[in-house]
Amino acid sequence: MKKVFVDGPISPQFVAESLAKHQSKTTIGAHSMFMGQIRADAKEGGVVTGIEYSAYPEMAEGVFHQIREAAFEKYELTCLHIYHSLGLVPTGEISLFVFVSSPHRRATFEALEFLVEEIKAKVPIFGKELIGAQGDFVWKENQ
Amino acid sequence: MTLSILYFGMIAESIGNPVETWHSLDPLTVGELKHQLLERYPVLRDRKFQIAVNQQIADEAFPIPPLAEVALLPPFAGG
Repeated sequence: MKKVFVDGPISPQFVAESLAKHQSKTTIGAHSMFMGQIRADAKEGGVVTGIEYSAYPEMAEGVFHQIREAAFEKYELTCLHIYHSLGLVPTGEISLFVFVSSPHRRATFEALEFLVEEIKAKVPIFGKELIGAQGDFVWKENQ
Repeated sequence: MTLSILYFGMIAESIGNPVETWHSLDPLTVGELKHQLLERYPVLRDRKFQIAVNQQIADEAFPIPPLAEVALLPPFAGG
């Protein structure tokens, strides 16, 4: 099973290197990427400074695997990568990176939306939004 | 039957403990276990959570097998 979780933020360099690794795969004609970035939302008590992610890792890896399999079944994909942060991700940094590649663009657009929505709805990942400098927080909930 | 119960996120914080062993003389469905948990931890009445049995989301009628790993999962926040 492919490893999804990474410690802390996902760097722009990591994203660029992932793209570079695909230049030898010449059946690919299109890539689409989604990056989730931490917003500095204003909350009661201050502004969000980051999110501390935790997960039920054994179940989460299994659900990520099922979502991957479903995407390969539904769409014509050459490859597909998902990375999600655990631990602290400060505001402005990346916590989710989904990368799909296909011979043709339409499959990448559709697969990408499917994957991001499935991840948000089904993977047991929890997030504490850290607020201000006093150690306050609220638990995040996907809509 | 003996179960291990895992608590996550806001639920672990409410209970003050991430894991415990649960003993029951009788077999339990998810709904019956949930009822017992709410009796032991009234704070859970105000919390939203789903229950997973052996890493699968289960509804209240689901019979929990012996030695199962049961997890209380608060709302997801991935992404």
